[in-house]
Amino acid sequence: MSPNLSLYAALALYAAGTIMALATLFTREKRPQHIALGMMIAGFVAHTVWISTICIRTHHPPLTNLPEAAGFMAWTVFAVELALFIRYRVHAAAFFVYPLVLMLLTVSAVVHEPFVRSPAAVSRLFITHIFLTTTGVAGLLIGLAFGALAWVQDRALKSKRHGALWDWIPSLNVCKTVSYRALSVGFSIYTLGILAGILWSYRTSAELMDLRVKQVGAVVAWVLFAIVLQAYVNDTYRTRRTAIIGACAFVAIVVAILGIHHA
Amino acid sequence: MPLIAVGVNHRTAAVDVRERLSVGPARMPETLEALCALDGIDGAAVLSTCNRVEVIVSTSREDVIEPIVGWLTTRAGTSRAELEKHVYILRHGDVLKHLFRVASGLDSMIVGEPQIAGQVRAAFLASRECGAMSSILSQIFDATMRVEKKVRTDTGIGELAVSVPYAAVELARKIFGDLHGLQVLLLGAGDMGELTAEHLSSFGLEQIFVANRSYDRAVELAERFQGQAVTFEGIEPYLATCDIVIASTAAPHFVIETGHVERALAARRKRNLFLIDLSVPRNIEPAIASIDGAYLYNIDDLQNVVESNRETRLHKAEEAEQIVDREVEAFRRRIAAQDAVPTIVELQQRIETIRATELEKCLRKFGPVSAEQRDAIEQLSTQMVNKILHYPILQLKEAEEPAERETLRKTIRKIFGLR
Repeated sequence: MSPNLSLYAALALYAAGTIMALATLFTREKRPQHIALGMMIAGFVAHTVWISTICIRTHHPPLTNLPEAAGFMAWTVFAVELALFIRYRVHAAAFFVYPLVLMLLTVSAVVHEPFVRSPAAVSRLFITHIFLTTTGVAGLLIGLAFGALAWVQDRALKSKRHGALWDWIPSLNVCKTVSYRALSVGFSIYTLGILAGILWSYRTSAELMDLRVKQVGAVVAWVLFAIVLQAYVNDTYRTRRTAIIGACAFVAIVVAILGIHHA
Repeated sequence: MPLIAVGVNHRTAAVDVRERLSVGPARMPETLEALCALDGIDGAAVLSTCNRVEVIVSTSREDVIEPIVGWLTTRAGTSRAELEKHVYILRHGDVLKHLFRVASGLDSMIVGEPQIAGQVRAAFLASRECGAMSSILSQIFDATMRVEKKVRTDTGIGELAVSVPYAAVELARKIFGDLHGLQVLLLGAGDMGELTAEHLSSFGLEQIFVANRSYDRAVELAERFQGQAVTFEGIEPYLATCDIVIASTAAPHFVIETGHVERALAARRKRNLFLIDLSVPRNIEPAIASIDGAYLYNIDDLQNVVESNRETRLHKAEEAEQIVDREVEAFRRRIAAQDAVPTIVELQQRIETIRATELEKCLRKFGPVSAEQRDAIEQLSTQMVNKILHYPILQLKEAEEPAERETLRKTIRKIFGLR
């Protein structure tokens, strides 16, 4: 089977699942949400097949170029979302996470890059760097999604007006706890990933880092996520300032991901 | 479906009529026995709740309505003409739809209330235990419980709080999630506050502290909730440890002010604090609502939540009605298909006998044939028979109207010479 077949199958299922989940924002019905989740899980299976075929074909983890890294990140984000859904039954996270997963996998499908086979690019340190960064970013994105839910829930409780998401969002405590844990774990892994990247850069080019888009984006994102995490520690995560910084962190991380293509 | 339902409910009869007709669990066996003793009744169930008393029977005769109404008249101890003003009579498919609606809470005084499902279940189980459950009633019972579950799962009609105490519980769960292990401070001894604390306490709270101007009354209330009484003047330290504060005093001024809550939130390391002010005049300073981590709801806010939930329930009820209609239709089809089964089986046996006999005759004429040839001829004849029977069987299964079904059944029996 062509690896692209499973990629396109995953993409189609994710797209259908995302559209159906977003439609429930207006219909407020539970059944389409469950169908959407089923489609996303089917997409996740196809996605797993795609990642596995890349591993078998290239004999290394699918982390050596933008399509692979974006695809792996999408896979990790959905895996974490699925685990959280099973634990907390959080339907509302779908409104943030499904489009994100779809967007990342679309990058994998649209951007064509050759597999990197240079010894430096497939060294253990490089793979470790990409693996940690990708996993860390997945945690941070999930943290942001749940942070957004906590913010929406806080606003709804304060304003006493139930918005469209009211029925879908779990308690404020759950949103805050999941967000804080995902951000703190994701941030720690992401930091290790950046350190591994600096080390790899030093070994291969004798430079700690340069000022290309992905490096600058990654560092800016790191700083912004550190501020968001600090807001959780100080319990100022409800403020507009934290929401804006969180949005900027998201943009920075997207720029850093897309920057892989132009490295 | 040979079904009849006769009954009264909160819309058709006042409580004095309903109470005379009501059947308690202790008297259920003798009631069912008396009903089943009526001529023409195959099975019976009695649904008796505070809002309705209904007799549901399976029967092949329409004229059982008269004895059932007569029986109810005797029970009500009133004149037949008087009772007939309150009684409704449903037949066949309408009984099914009615049961689906009742069990789903669509016919309840508070739309979507969940208790009725358990009461319907109890009514059918009592019928089963007393040996009054006929085959069709048993199928209807299973279908009713399945539809009730589907309605509640698909629409979430019973999930929204429609009383002030439940609205407070719902909001507490939106803030804290699991209420297990939380602490509550109840200020004052107002009825609504007491009721709210009672509802909250059923969710596994760790402790309830009660403060009242009269310490003796506080002790009395605390004992009721297995909580702890505290003096009214000494409540401030409890704001730092309690997660939910319910104010329901007759004080004409604010009992909890902004400074209290700011200090409490600082001491509780920013853990959220839910304040419920059920008093008029209000006891909790409104400005507290703007403090991060403090969620303040007064009686009007909670009433608004209740009103909004009631409206949402009505919207969900429309969805639920559609589900009920679909399920009634599906059940009718299943029953129709079941009715047709004996004719279908007989028809298949008859044609199969003809096929097998004619095949044997034909093969004898051919003389010796190989096993492959025999299989081929056999397959050909079977396929032909199946194709010919397909359409008549389909028509028998899918005929919607009982009269149409009966005509088809008779026609097929006549044409194919079935007994």
